[in-house]
Amino acid sequence: MSRINDVGGMEGFPPIEQDLDETPFHADWEAHVFAMNRALIGAGVYNLDEFRDAIERMAPEEYLASSYYEKWFHAIRTLCIEKGVLNEEEVERALHAG
Amino acid sequence: MSGHHDDAPIAAQVRGLEALLEDRGLVDARELDRALEAFLAGSSPAGAARAVARAWTDDDFRRRLLDDANAALPEVRLSMGGGLQEQRLKVVENTAAVHNVIVCTLCSCYPIAVLGPSPTWYKSEAYRSRVVRDPRGVLAEFEFDPGPDVEITVWDASAESRYMVLPRRPEGTEPLDEAELAALVTRNGLIGVAAV
Amino acid sequence: MRFTPGDRVRTTRADPPHHTRVPRYARGAVGVVLEPQGVHPVADDRARGLQTPPEPVYTVRFTACELFGDGDHHVTLDVWERHLDPERS
Repeated sequence: MSRINDVGGMEGFPPIEQDLDETPFHADWEAHVFAMNRALIGAGVYNLDEFRDAIERMAPEEYLASSYYEKWFHAIRTLCIEKGVLNEEEVERALHAG
Repeated sequence: MSGHHDDAPIAAQVRGLEALLEDRGLVDARELDRALEAFLAGSSPAGAARAVARAWTDDDFRRRLLDDANAALPEVRLSMGGGLQEQRLKVVENTAAVHNVIVCTLCSCYPIAVLGPSPTWYKSEAYRSRVVRDPRGVLAEFEFDPGPDVEITVWDASAESRYMVLPRRPEGTEPLDEAELAALVTRNGLIGVAAV
Repeated sequence: MRFTPGDRVRTTRADPPHHTRVPRYARGAVGVVLEPQGVHPVADDRARGLQTPPEPVYTVRFTACELFGDGDHHVTLDVWERHLDPERS
């Protein structure tokens, strides 16, 4: 089944918005998400293809409403739970404890 | 997009998850800092610009770069090993007859090791969906018209290769040396949404 | 290596219920092999935790007409061998 990430050739997206701010991260949390993902892949918790897969499995409306690093954060949470390194309850608690 | 709304809730969530992963020994704060520093140290297209300037001034290097970029990159102190593993780089050359532009329609693959992080628009659904279908329309949004007689090839990075455009050397730059030429090369030129 | 530069190939039409690196816009399309890229782990398998041997990947070039019915440009895609079939000229 084609997933929402598979947008090549799809109609309806707006003109391209060029950002003048070219910094790699627009907020500190984005840098942390980037580094966390690299660490988890490096530690062998999951691989890059599983990571892409987890992003693609997002609900289409959530995928389209999320920024780039919000998608990454979603996939990290999904995979940490699916791979059994964290459970759902503790992730929920952690999200509210920060 | 981030920056357009309140970042505080997600920033707190990221802190919370990171603390939990640290607590479990799955990530190490100092390791994270080191990874970020290394990433940001290479966070500009300056390296790729150096390769382009060399290719413009040294025809043998140009041929080596087009034939096997991974083997040629060390000549300008670059490599594709900056990420988790060495990736294949394919350099595609613009000519009077052909213009190239790169994309990853399925996610956002990009030659980070030589270009630094990609711009936000490169990762947008708008760019990814439209550039394969209507490249001339997308290039027009960048105020770039390669000309009606120039053939366009769009390179969709759907596997392990990463792509980079070798732009045409601008006219009237014969007196410039390699460093001056490198300073002319822009990131958008290396993606193929602009001329240099 | 099953294909060499210049070979005409057709991409799979399959619409698998899992991660795949064959985009929808290029399924069942005829293109020409530009060059082999060596062998690489198969993303479609690795995303599902399957351990399969690496397979050849090819750069394949398509006309916009073949992919979309119009357009004067070309699109190239990187395709694993299992997703390609030979196409008679």
